[in-house]
Amino acid sequence: MDGKTEKGRGLTRRDFLEGTGAALVVAGAAPKFAGAESSEEAANLQAAGTAPRTRIRLTVNGTEHRIEVEDRWTLNEVLRDQLELTGSKIGCNRGECGACTVLVDGEPTYSCSTLAVWMDGRAIETVEGLEQDDELTPLQQAFIDHDAAQCGFCTPGQLMAATALLERNASPNTQEVREALVGNLCRCSNYNAIVEAVLATARTGGAP
Amino acid sequence: MTAQEAQGSIGPLNTVGHNVPRIDAYERVTGKATYTRDVRVPGMLYARVLRSPHPHARIRSIDVSRAESLAGVRAVVTHETHQYIYSSGSIAGGRQYSDAAKDITEHIRYMFDNPVRYVGQPVAAVAAVDRHVAEEALALIDIDWEELPFVIDLEEALEAGAPKIWPEGNLGLDFRNEARPMTRSVGDIAAGFRAADRVFEDRYTTAFVQDAQMEPRSALAEWHGDKVTIHTPTQGISNCRHDNARDLGLEDHQVQIVCKYMGGGFGDKNGSYYFDLIAAALAKEADAPVLLELTRKDDWLGTHGRWHTVQDFKVGVQQDGTVTAIQQTGYSGMGPYLRRSGGISGIEAYACPNSERVIYPVHTNRMVSGNFRAPSDPQGYFSIQSMMDDIAYEIGMDPVDFAKKNMLRPTEDVRFTNYMLEDCIDRGVELFDWQSRRRVEPGSDAGRIKRGAGFSFMMFRSGVGPSSAIVRVDSQEQYTLFVGVTDIGPGAKTTMALIAAEELGVPLSEVEVVWGDTDRCPYSVGESGSRTTTQTGYAVVQAAKDLKAQIAESGMPRRGEVLIASATPTPSTQGARRMCFGAHFVEVEANVQSGHVRITKYVAVHESGRILNPLPARDQIRGAALQGVGQALHEDLLYDPRNGHPLNAGYYGARHLTHLDAPEIEVEFIETDDGFGPYGAKTVGEAGIILGPAAVANAIYNAIGVRMKDLPITRQRILEALS
Repeated sequence: MDGKTEKGRGLTRRDFLEGTGAALVVAGAAPKFAGAESSEEAANLQAAGTAPRTRIRLTVNGTEHRIEVEDRWTLNEVLRDQLELTGSKIGCNRGECGACTVLVDGEPTYSCSTLAVWMDGRAIETVEGLEQDDELTPLQQAFIDHDAAQCGFCTPGQLMAATALLERNASPNTQEVREALVGNLCRCSNYNAIVEAVLATARTGGAP
Repeated sequence: MTAQEAQGSIGPLNTVGHNVPRIDAYERVTGKATYTRDVRVPGMLYARVLRSPHPHARIRSIDVSRAESLAGVRAVVTHETHQYIYSSGSIAGGRQYSDAAKDITEHIRYMFDNPVRYVGQPVAAVAAVDRHVAEEALALIDIDWEELPFVIDLEEALEAGAPKIWPEGNLGLDFRNEARPMTRSVGDIAAGFRAADRVFEDRYTTAFVQDAQMEPRSALAEWHGDKVTIHTPTQGISNCRHDNARDLGLEDHQVQIVCKYMGGGFGDKNGSYYFDLIAAALAKEADAPVLLELTRKDDWLGTHGRWHTVQDFKVGVQQDGTVTAIQQTGYSGMGPYLRRSGGISGIEAYACPNSERVIYPVHTNRMVSGNFRAPSDPQGYFSIQSMMDDIAYEIGMDPVDFAKKNMLRPTEDVRFTNYMLEDCIDRGVELFDWQSRRRVEPGSDAGRIKRGAGFSFMMFRSGVGPSSAIVRVDSQEQYTLFVGVTDIGPGAKTTMALIAAEELGVPLSEVEVVWGDTDRCPYSVGESGSRTTTQTGYAVVQAAKDLKAQIAESGMPRRGEVLIASATPTPSTQGARRMCFGAHFVEVEANVQSGHVRITKYVAVHESGRILNPLPARDQIRGAALQGVGQALHEDLLYDPRNGHPLNAGYYGARHLTHLDAPEIEVEFIETDDGFGPYGAKTVGEAGIILGPAAVANAIYNAIGVRMKDLPITRQRILEALS
């Protein structure tokens, strides 16, 4: 970026693009970069151009993606920024709160603390993948019926952790639910309602 | 009105009073709810903030040239380029800035200040093509620091010779730049102590509690000519717009605030904050939309939490249990800037005719304190109700009887719109089975695991006041409600729709709500002070009444027509106090070998007028009660006194409650209709957090027989107290 002038002023977008080159960084399935109108963002993302990149293949909610990622990108960044799946949240970005929880090959995983390059060949499930054919899962419906989401920011993570629990244990007791969700904080402290929703799902047949 | 009459006279209405799922519940469980960071704008840049590594230091020079020349950096702003003063404040009360105060105050809150006065204070900000480049650039900003003496401890800050954070000293200045405490004086305190048979004195302390909402603060700013759109997690879009406009030197109509979903509020996000301004400044400099993302550590140290306090009490009591005098001297740790009042409440819940309260807001080089859910209350109620619990046992009274003898009741001079405190206490005694759970002799259980029970009671303002709403109906019989609310968690959007459907006499599904956007919505008071339901909800009632009258007069709109009604009512209770009431009863099990405390039963009885939507109302109380438990047993922000650095910022370090720490909270509402608010609804949101610390602490005393006077009541403190 030789064209940069004092205090960032006087630099137009065109200068910037010419300075960096509008090279596409991602081939294949990443929708954001496929069209000509998004080449500018692609250029933005690669502006620094120094971070090592790796090409990975991952399946997200049943769809396979081939994508080139910066080695420093987390799984959460790929999901939210590249695939525009913004359901999983960043609450702490350091493995404390669980708002970013997704399933990796069925296991609840903090996507903020998981590098994207580690995900080559893995199957990811996010909150956006729960609803099938316009039908909510029983767990999602129970979250609605029991008002388990207050501000809703931790909800996608709670749902994914609870989905994984119910897959391996169709009839957990209260303590088992609490243990399975211990990595998912809720500052609204709506813990009672979340546990009630999971237990109600288990009572109505066990399928998450 | 007695409870029986009230309960007899109240039942569900057509729509109000039934359990109704939130109208945006689907969005919340599918990941479709759009929070600030989920908004994407073409060409958007990412911003990061550089923060002070020193508790008190002057910037001799700042060199951003290396950061600016990093490929991908688009703008850098510092105190040399931008001197915005943030949050001139527009909500009522306290000592917060107003337009006048902004001109008067000696303690100006700059977006970037020099000198810096706490670790984590913003120093500079960078916008770049992605967040990693922005972060890299922060490390390339070179600052020549002159470190200054600092003070972390609240009491040390008041000693002669303590490092001065402001030239005037370390006491907070009031509206006239005078270092006077907040005082409240009733009756004759000296006469009160003369009338007492016994006088008790004690000191209580409470710790800093971060608001710690799950969504870290963010701001996405985009300029369109001389108008700026800011997406930001705010508790009040109207006030946020007004504050940001004044801080940026713009008119209100030049600022659009958008907040559709917000990941928790809990306080003090009803105006602007510096990050809104930083995003706006960077977006202007870079000539591109800028998303500023605070990291969790940024948010923890760079925003605010409940002020920590030291409180000294002197209470005079007669042998029959009548309290004759209450004297309270409090010190509130505000950090270096007086963002909010530093108030400590609680003694006004007693009828004692002679009382005196003196509160000093004190500056330290800790992070800033501000509002957290019932800003003045849990720390005050913990202290005074621990004190009173202690006195009750000292004079051999049941704490419930002692409370009922001394609590504030209606008199000719003190009028309430209705009074339900005694009903709440009596119902709690029954539900909790107080007589059998309480140990008449505290600490009398044999063995290492001891049980005990404690209780606390409160009243909390549930005022009435102005707000606005617009209701429209078109020829398709589609009703649209325009309300300037955001939804921070309690479900304001759904509540407003429920009220409109009730008043209009139409199904909830026929009411569409437009919310969270100042370009589309009228003024709303904001989701703070638990006022949205009572104030904006009442405006919805009035607007809907108007629309119904129009329909009655001219019929439903014909093809292409619309009917519109708006209302900005300013109701008044004619001098009567409108309060909500509550009593919490807690049983704990304390392990005197490990210091571990487990809550085995928690009953919360509340009167919040008519409950409009029972499930979310219940969960406001349950969640708030659990936040109170966190304050009682866990949360703190520790500093290393040698270097002024915080030690445990973050959820893990502050030991926030997890699923495994959260006991079941049993909630019961006593419903009434006092004739004010929408259908008699009172406040709910803040009321539930006030009583947890006091009730838990009193239960611990009843279990172990030793009074715990400092929050949080950690295992270590219990073991020290018992040794």
